[in-house]
Amino acid sequence: MEFSVIGKHVPRVDAPEKVTGQARYAADYSLPGMLWCKVHRSPYAHARILHVDTSRAQRLPGVKAVVTGKDFHGWSWGWMPETRDEPPLAVEKARYLYEAVAAVAAIDEDIAEEACDLITVDYEELPGVYDPEEALQDGAPLVHEGREKNISIEYHWNFGDVEKAFAESHIIREDRFCTSRATKGYVEPPAALAYYDPAGYITIWPAKQSPYFHYRHLAACFKLPLNRVRVIQPFIGGGFGGTKNDSVAGDFCAVLLSKMTGKPVKFVYTQEEELTTSRRRHSMIVYNKMGAKRDGTLTAVQTRVIADGGAYTAIGPLTMYLAGFATTLPYKLPTYKYDAYRVFTNTPIGAAMRGHGITHTRFACEIQMEMIAEELGIDPVQMRLRNAIDNPKPGTMYETINKVTLKTCGIKEALNTVAAHPLWRDKDKAPQRRDNISWGVGLSGTAYLGGARQRGHQSCGAIVRICEDGTVNLLTGATDCGQGSDTVLCMIAAEELGVRLKDIAIKRVDTAYTPCDPGSYGSRVTILAGQATQMAAADAKRQLVRSAAETWEVNPEDIEIKEGVVFVTTDAQKSMPFSKLARIACYSGSGAVIIGTGYSGYGVEPLDFDTGMGNGGTSYSFTAQLARVGVDMETGKVQVTDFVIAHDGGRPLNPLGAEGQNEGGAIQGLGQTIYENFIMDKGKTLNPTFLDYKMPRTTDVPDIQVIDIITDDPDGPFGAKEASEGSIVSTPPAVVSAIHDATGIWFTELPITPEKIVKALKEKGDKKGHGSVREAKRMKERQET
Amino acid sequence: MKQITVTVNGTVYELQVKSWATLLDMIRDDLGLTGTKEGCGLGECGACTVIMDGKTVNACLVLAPEADGKEIITIEGLSRGGQFHPVQEAFMEQGGIQCGFCTPGMILSTKALLDENPNPTDEEIRRDMAGNFCRCTGYTKIFESIKAAVRKGDT
Amino acid sequence: MVTLYRRLPRVEYVQPKTIEELLALRAQYAGKGALLAGGTDLMPKLKRREIEAPGCLIDLKGIPDLAYISNAEGDGLRIGALATLRAIETSALIQATYGILSQTASSMASVQIRNRGTVAGNLCNAVPSADTAPPLLALDATAKLMSQKGERIVPLDDFFIGPNKTVLSDDELLVEIQVPRVLPHSRGVYLKLTQRSSMELAVVGVAVMVSARNGVCENIKIALGAVAPTPMRAKRAEAVLRGQHFSEELIEHTARTAAEESRPIDDHRATQEYRRDMVEVLVKRAVIETISP
Repeated sequence: MEFSVIGKHVPRVDAPEKVTGQARYAADYSLPGMLWCKVHRSPYAHARILHVDTSRAQRLPGVKAVVTGKDFHGWSWGWMPETRDEPPLAVEKARYLYEAVAAVAAIDEDIAEEACDLITVDYEELPGVYDPEEALQDGAPLVHEGREKNISIEYHWNFGDVEKAFAESHIIREDRFCTSRATKGYVEPPAALAYYDPAGYITIWPAKQSPYFHYRHLAACFKLPLNRVRVIQPFIGGGFGGTKNDSVAGDFCAVLLSKMTGKPVKFVYTQEEELTTSRRRHSMIVYNKMGAKRDGTLTAVQTRVIADGGAYTAIGPLTMYLAGFATTLPYKLPTYKYDAYRVFTNTPIGAAMRGHGITHTRFACEIQMEMIAEELGIDPVQMRLRNAIDNPKPGTMYETINKVTLKTCGIKEALNTVAAHPLWRDKDKAPQRRDNISWGVGLSGTAYLGGARQRGHQSCGAIVRICEDGTVNLLTGATDCGQGSDTVLCMIAAEELGVRLKDIAIKRVDTAYTPCDPGSYGSRVTILAGQATQMAAADAKRQLVRSAAETWEVNPEDIEIKEGVVFVTTDAQKSMPFSKLARIACYSGSGAVIIGTGYSGYGVEPLDFDTGMGNGGTSYSFTAQLARVGVDMETGKVQVTDFVIAHDGGRPLNPLGAEGQNEGGAIQGLGQTIYENFIMDKGKTLNPTFLDYKMPRTTDVPDIQVIDIITDDPDGPFGAKEASEGSIVSTPPAVVSAIHDATGIWFTELPITPEKIVKALKEKGDKKGHGSVREAKRMKERQET
Repeated sequence: MKQITVTVNGTVYELQVKSWATLLDMIRDDLGLTGTKEGCGLGECGACTVIMDGKTVNACLVLAPEADGKEIITIEGLSRGGQFHPVQEAFMEQGGIQCGFCTPGMILSTKALLDENPNPTDEEIRRDMAGNFCRCTGYTKIFESIKAAVRKGDT
Repeated sequence: MVTLYRRLPRVEYVQPKTIEELLALRAQYAGKGALLAGGTDLMPKLKRREIEAPGCLIDLKGIPDLAYISNAEGDGLRIGALATLRAIETSALIQATYGILSQTASSMASVQIRNRGTVAGNLCNAVPSADTAPPLLALDATAKLMSQKGERIVPLDDFFIGPNKTVLSDDELLVEIQVPRVLPHSRGVYLKLTQRSSMELAVVGVAVMVSARNGVCENIKIALGAVAPTPMRAKRAEAVLRGQHFSEELIEHTARTAAEESRPIDDHRATQEYRRDMVEVLVKRAVIETISP
């Protein structure tokens, strides 16, 4: 199909505001008379709160109000009705270090901070539990009273008979994998400006990537109808799931303090508050058992996951679902068993992050599959191709054992593409060692979902308003937190309507005007808000075409609109600019208002947490990736030089944006593979700064080549699936496999720090690093001849 | 309070500032130029990068009184008369922007780099931009933006 | 009771215009006035409340001509208290004669930080991982300290007394760093081990200055960072090689000796064992690099 707008390299629609410093983020908003909110935090990871004394803070000149946990009257929130276990401010107990306990509002931030220091709290320190496996032991301290063994979420799913399959397998491996304690690492810390006005309406400008979740939280917390909560969305300085999908203590406190004082109240967290108290990616221990036939055909996977959930449940039920359901992708798996435990500990809360859930278990399966291939003497590409799911023929579907259905699957094409790349094809030609550096190349083949389903309201909506001069206002509830979705949605609207991209204008979410939407997570915006936008545009177009048909007295089916020109396909004489049609349509009769509406219909069946059966997403992306690394065999330092990413994102609607997404996801994945980890000591984060929480800088990133695998998914607008979550999943196994190639060692615990590499080489007695895979092979061959 | 005189984007300001206020506080709160961002407040992310007397600095680590008598360029001072600076153009065209929070600092560091070294090598670009952290792009498109800005400078 | 502060503590700020004025303020504030040069170490420490807030920040930058880098008399390098790391990195004089210093400076933090941070500040901050310390120790540098009572010259080797502690007293100013003339036939290198390739503190820092002729080590200085309470010289290791013919065996012996001399600790950045092992690796590499053609 020929597109006019889709598939073109398009600069972001918000680029001019962003390069000139005019894009306003939450911390950039202020109002006259505004007060500053500051949060007072617990010095204990686990302690009973006996008494909170705010009197000295109240008396400090400039302080206008102080709130404590009791001021929220027992209200708490959570992702599902049955998991609402988190209070805005701790009431009876503090369950993790620096949990919010009180907050003040003062005329400036200096006074607010000083007042926080004047709040005194009597605590009874309690023994804490900081490790999920210890937390599961009998007699471990309980984070939440009445929650046996600290189990927050537990799933037990069975698909087919794994025991029988293992018994019939030629080879079985059992390994323990562990993923890092990572975080989103966006540059913009949480912030909001809130105003509770005298008429009883809340207006808030918060840094949220799911503003409608937040609006529901505020309505529930303050017992207001939804139409009295107005979330006006600023620009968002990065999201990546978790914190900005949710609410933070500061949000609730700012609103309550505003209600108490009648003034607008603002808070801005420090980056240290973000890094020590915000939601993180879960760290997971994955006990994986995998069986295969002699020829490498997979027979069974049995996975037991123990996830560090931290102090509250948050979005944990979904995390544990995602970690399990997608193990049947992208390789054919006849039997599968999944046992998952999300465990409470006295640490910051585990929640969603880009690559949500799937990154942990896919890492385990990928590495284990490579280990099996190595033991069986099968080439890793052949091992994968033998098991990879075929691309279903148009009009058909592939169904996994847990009833995940695929309409398109580019994994084989992606694998073949990277296998033919010189980086892989010619890897044996160059010597593997040079001085102290051992070079390695690794490969992975992974899957992710797009258009994530959830529970509760999951539809996205869009409104296309045709102005009388032929320009268009696009309203959606979708959030662009940096991924470029506003641009893509404008492209979809332009393509569908047949107008130029510059004729479409989009503004950010305002819950008083834009349609409800679950927000940016689970790679849902392009697919679901995209579908809604396409439908809304088609609806508006129908109205316009009807008007044109009446004007020209022709059949509506014979009218086309392309690049701003309306014409009749059967009569070359009949054509007019889109702007003219808009005027005709708007001014016909006593005047008309042309508004198109649409909402997404994909993925409406709710997730089945009990059995793990069914789709977690609307469609599924597939990624094959190469990584080339140089490992300093004496210091353990790893430099990653190249990534090649073949990504089946259906069809990239804006290749410039999709490429940037894939690159960004891969580098975030790189961080979690070799650099990033919170170092914890009894609930305390020892590295709460960008200096010590080590994310890749300009000097640490490889050259990246992204290759699009086009599969045109029927359930995506113009064929689109997801971008960026696929590459954050494909990167860790590719890099780990490359490090194995260089060192001969399989690392199963992330991140792979230099120190771990040196230790492993030492244990292997291989200081010289002769064990690098291909060197070892070469030496063996030499001995044999 | 300290009385200071500071030139920002070509305009001379006489300001009363707290002695412990940072240059970043002054730029954002006193002048309302919120294009300069606070990411970490500790000099580790570069989101608050501004150009002071021709050199990039982390505005979060400079005290407002230290800026007395200085000439400062913020992101708002880069485009003139509605014309984008070539570095701004390059970032827009090459996709060197995602969430945009690091963008002002990124662009100012690029400008300072190219003012000093109009034709940097790939290695020099990576080394000199290390103080500007970006979580969204993985830097590839930022490098491409900087190289495009170099080409714009050549013409 | 925990508050994570976004604001700096309330401090006064003064900017004296002469050294005399500054020294008077130093004496007047005694322990309550902190010197402010680039502020790149001080500001984060104040913001995170890692140190008690001083009553006053005494800014050096009002004093003219303290940013000098000179070799006027040809008898060695003089670095003024306000010479920035960026100036050290880009100075043609330093690049030509004291390449190890510009190389070291370029390995530190970011351009933004190097535009503000000073060598003197890096030394006075006195963290064990202070990057400028090992090369300056290997260059036999001295520090010129001034107070109202007078001047004293302290060998850098005696300057550090513990983590964040130096011999600088409350009324003094490190006004100049002096580096003796480099011997002919000598070369130096600073190797900094980090997990990422920029924006890092050294896990181990090793500076080696070697003066070699005809395959003989006429003199060698080895200094280590981040492996003891203070930056340190590895004098026993130096003695292994000094006066000897270079050989692989002897270089390895030297490296091992340096590792034995080091006194690293376990912390969240690295274990003691890894740091010690890496001293050996880095010293060996540094010596080989200085004598390679």
